[in-house]
Amino acid sequence: MITFKLNGKTVQGDGGEYILPVAQRNGVEIPTLCHHKVLEPAGMCRLCTVELFDGRRSRFVTSCNYPIWEGMEVKTDSARVRQGRKLIVEMLLARCPDVPVLKRLGTEYGVEEPRFKKGDDDCILCGLCTRICERVGASAISLTGRGLEMEVSTPFGEKTDVCLACGACASVCPTGHINMDVVREKHAAHEVELIASEYDMGLKGRKPIYIPYAQAIPNTPAIDRSKCVHFKTGGCKICEEACGVKAIDHTQQDEILELNVGAVVLAPGFKPFDPSKYVTYQYSKHPNVMTSMEFERILSASGPTMGHLVRMSDHKEPKKIAWLQCVGSRDMNRCDHPYCSSVCCMYAIKEASIAKEHAGSDLDCAIFFMDMRTHGKDFERYYDAAREKHGVRFIRSRVHSIEPNAGGDDLVLRYATEKGEQVEETFDMVVLSIGLEISEEIKGLAEKLGINLTEGGFCNTSSFTPVATNKEGIYVCGAFQGPKDIPQSVIEASSAAAEAGALLSEARNTLTRAKEDIKERDIRGERPRIGVFVCHCGINIGSIVDVKGVRDYAKTLPYVEYVADNLYSCSQDTQDAMTQVIKANDLNRIVVAACTPKTHEPLFQETLVNAGLNRYLFEMTNIRNQDSWVHKDEPEKATEKAKDLVRMAVAKAALIESLQEAQLSVNQKAMVIGGGISGMTAARSLSRQGYQVCLVERSGELGGQALNLFQTWKGEKVGAELDALIRSVKSDSRIDLRLGSEIENVEGFVGSFKTSLSSKSGKDTVEHGVTVIATGASEYKPTEYLYGKDPRVVTHLELDRKFKDDDPALKDVKTAVFIQCVGSREPERPYCSRVCCTHSIESALHIKEINPDASVYVLYRDIRTYGEREYLYRKARAKGVIFVRFALDKKPCVSATPEGLSVVVEDHILGRDIAIRADMLALASAIVPYKDEKLAQFFKVPMNEDGFFVEAHAKLGPSEFSTDGVFLCGLAHYPKPIDESVAHAQAASSRAVRLLARKNISVSGTVAQTNPLYCSSCGICVSICPYSAPHFIEKGPFTGRAEINPVLCKGCGLCVASCRSGAINLKGFGTDQIMAMINEM
Amino acid sequence: MNDWQPKITTFLCHWCSYGAADLAGVSRFQYPPNFRIIRVPCSGRISPKFILAALRHGADAVWVSG
Repeated sequence: MITFKLNGKTVQGDGGEYILPVAQRNGVEIPTLCHHKVLEPAGMCRLCTVELFDGRRSRFVTSCNYPIWEGMEVKTDSARVRQGRKLIVEMLLARCPDVPVLKRLGTEYGVEEPRFKKGDDDCILCGLCTRICERVGASAISLTGRGLEMEVSTPFGEKTDVCLACGACASVCPTGHINMDVVREKHAAHEVELIASEYDMGLKGRKPIYIPYAQAIPNTPAIDRSKCVHFKTGGCKICEEACGVKAIDHTQQDEILELNVGAVVLAPGFKPFDPSKYVTYQYSKHPNVMTSMEFERILSASGPTMGHLVRMSDHKEPKKIAWLQCVGSRDMNRCDHPYCSSVCCMYAIKEASIAKEHAGSDLDCAIFFMDMRTHGKDFERYYDAAREKHGVRFIRSRVHSIEPNAGGDDLVLRYATEKGEQVEETFDMVVLSIGLEISEEIKGLAEKLGINLTEGGFCNTSSFTPVATNKEGIYVCGAFQGPKDIPQSVIEASSAAAEAGALLSEARNTLTRAKEDIKERDIRGERPRIGVFVCHCGINIGSIVDVKGVRDYAKTLPYVEYVADNLYSCSQDTQDAMTQVIKANDLNRIVVAACTPKTHEPLFQETLVNAGLNRYLFEMTNIRNQDSWVHKDEPEKATEKAKDLVRMAVAKAALIESLQEAQLSVNQKAMVIGGGISGMTAARSLSRQGYQVCLVERSGELGGQALNLFQTWKGEKVGAELDALIRSVKSDSRIDLRLGSEIENVEGFVGSFKTSLSSKSGKDTVEHGVTVIATGASEYKPTEYLYGKDPRVVTHLELDRKFKDDDPALKDVKTAVFIQCVGSREPERPYCSRVCCTHSIESALHIKEINPDASVYVLYRDIRTYGEREYLYRKARAKGVIFVRFALDKKPCVSATPEGLSVVVEDHILGRDIAIRADMLALASAIVPYKDEKLAQFFKVPMNEDGFFVEAHAKLGPSEFSTDGVFLCGLAHYPKPIDESVAHAQAASSRAVRLLARKNISVSGTVAQTNPLYCSSCGICVSICPYSAPHFIEKGPFTGRAEINPVLCKGCGLCVASCRSGAINLKGFGTDQIMAMINEM
Repeated sequence: MNDWQPKITTFLCHWCSYGAADLAGVSRFQYPPNFRIIRVPCSGRISPKFILAALRHGADAVWVSG
């Protein structure tokens, strides 16, 4: 260790170190342009000149390459040093007058105009570029020429293969003399390309060593071997030196692991369609034509423009944006994708609505579409709001080509309106709503596994086993199963898990290991002894916040008995050390000032448990994400903030107590309500996973709506499959079947429900741990189109009945008409019933099959044959089914005449009324929920305004309720076809098994608790709790006062803030604790 | 008066805004160091008492986000 004086202060450094890094470590800034910490210093720019006193005399040395020695005295900012630096700056500025960094230095050192003759260079010959080039192992450039002729160049100024175009030179150049354009023009013989960020869809570059995106898990960097220069030259390894914990190992090799598994779930996803094939759309030529995936990144706050809506060519805010639908979908001409991608209509509406939110209402958004397919739950409402509230324009037209306007960056679209007029409209930007496709790689995987694919390249499955492939034990979910959106993907994921769980149910818990139980120390009655650990997080916190200062400050706070600072608090060795420290110092409360509790709280709590402390005796404060990272230019203020945050955390910590987690044993029986396809599938799935099930059906028979159905869109006969399912339910010894039973009452909650049933044979109470609601829906009985008045008018389910019964009258049908959206997409029922388009087309085809000469008309508003159902639509048109579109305000008129029914509708192409004489009219009537309010109240689950049950989360929790232990599937959630109902039922079963399999659940200790002495029985907590946790005590001295069930409480604190008597306390976030933090602010 | 800087007491919901403040950090957004964050389990936990207490303790503004 060498000790010397730096600006009068005694500092230390290792032998062989130079002055500059020692000064930087001690917070002394010395200006430099040619220094880089991983490169040998060269003393080229001379800016780092400092004054050195060696005991006898003073002299000037360059601090970057002057080694320290014992007893030396260094002054970095004396008047003489500043004077010398001023001259250096003046000379540099004379050589390169337009370089911003030199201009800034000029201002700092008082050089307004250099006295010397001005040059026009921007290179200061610091040699950083040549040194880094050597370091990365290329040595493609050097300082060539002599004297005034000296410059950075390749040998003989020729382009060379030796240059890897890695960009290291450009990244270190202090003046901007070398940038990637220079590399492209002068150095590299081969192509120079940006490394496109996959996450930002290539709109931004990334480094060869990178974290894919901010929320990536694991959140550790990866090295792209194909781009990293070390793997090309053997040199560089700069990252190895820079990594504080020495985590980088370039010698690692790929390993092939063999896993022994009982089931495989395939979830390889899709590939966004590449629209370059659509030559007339200019995608590969024009920067302002982008894909919807790229546009998503533009809208994202973490995207390349930080959510600022600009177009790519000139970064101008667009005033007009067009979306073109069905690019790479429903198209056989320009790509081989006859299917509908299912998601594009909805995401285009979403993008247009968000774009308007970002840019303001004067942004004009136009969506060019063929059929608007908003068939998901609440999607139709979103579509209506986009059109009517946000003013998004919807234009029914397929645009042929996009032309750049002459000389400008704008784009001209030519299209035909519905009336047949040719229109030319100019837009600032065009977004191509690209479809989903299965990549060749995935198709190769399927081939390797022997899995059958569909015409569109998706995994082939049947409607009754929607996640099973043709190989036993291999399941599929997500877009590989068929194009779909998030909720449906999440449903299938759970469904595949249920299927794999059923297959492997015997092996459940055979590979688990029990955790060692550590006895908890009772700290009641002890004075708080707080330990504070402040984390450097490498340089993440340590380079901004004075961590040692914060640590020392913490020592002065009340009740703090121990303080420490850690380089990485989360590393395993630090965790072990913390455990020892807690035990050795009898600490009973721990504060960690580090990153965010959202990711690291559980880890530290585990450490407390290992040290014999209750996990709730812990408080974490965030001095990284919410301090050092966001105030990097204000280190002093960041340090002050860190001290304040630590003081607040300590104040709260002094008041925290051990909390107990309520334990709850889960009754191992499930109840499924509803005996339709969903209910039966859920019951069977639960049984196959090894659990007892009580299946309750109010009617006298199993089957539900499926009893009426003829065949699925894939042509499977429903009757045979349904019979097999009913037989399997009836013969299942684990299923306790209750036909003709109604639910009278429900008591209890997750883990221990008590449900009273009544049937003809009497009353009975069933105890169960979980509940699956699969109560279904029914068909709307139309009042329009002569339904019920003329026997020739039937609903589509009634028509299915005729198909099932092979009604001979069908052979005589010469003309059949189908009317779509009967009772759906109307003001009083503004949702789409999802199944009717496919169902009607399937029926239309069946009529054609029975009688190929029959004329069949489908009168529709939008055809919504999503996914591979589109093939049916294509087939129907090929077979001569005639499709006539009508508008909501121009519905068809039906009248009865002796010769037949007369259906009059305005033809959308002719613009004129046409009259169809029909023998039969089938109405695609809506799916209507039962609106079973009693059931909703029994299980405390919500219902939307249409009467469908509301799931826990529209995207991520589609098969469960926010009420614990209650699950949802089938039509009671939203209209859906058989395959989706089966998947949904299996998903609900999978979610339920997550609870059942645990047998005992412990719930969080941060729950609300009432003090019945203070309770005034006002009932506010009971009425506002979203989880139905509070209830009135029914027996004992506190009858009528409120009590909170810790099992149901989610710890939100809504009741606490609303309690007018102050009778409720939220453990872990008590009023005293929050007040203590406010006091210390 | 030009040097005056407000002191802001901030209550952030653990599930949304607190996570957003974390993400702001991950994205290295820079903002003034004038506010102090108190994490709450839900903005529903905020009682008017907390807001008054913060103002009484010298906060120039109180920000509840959830």
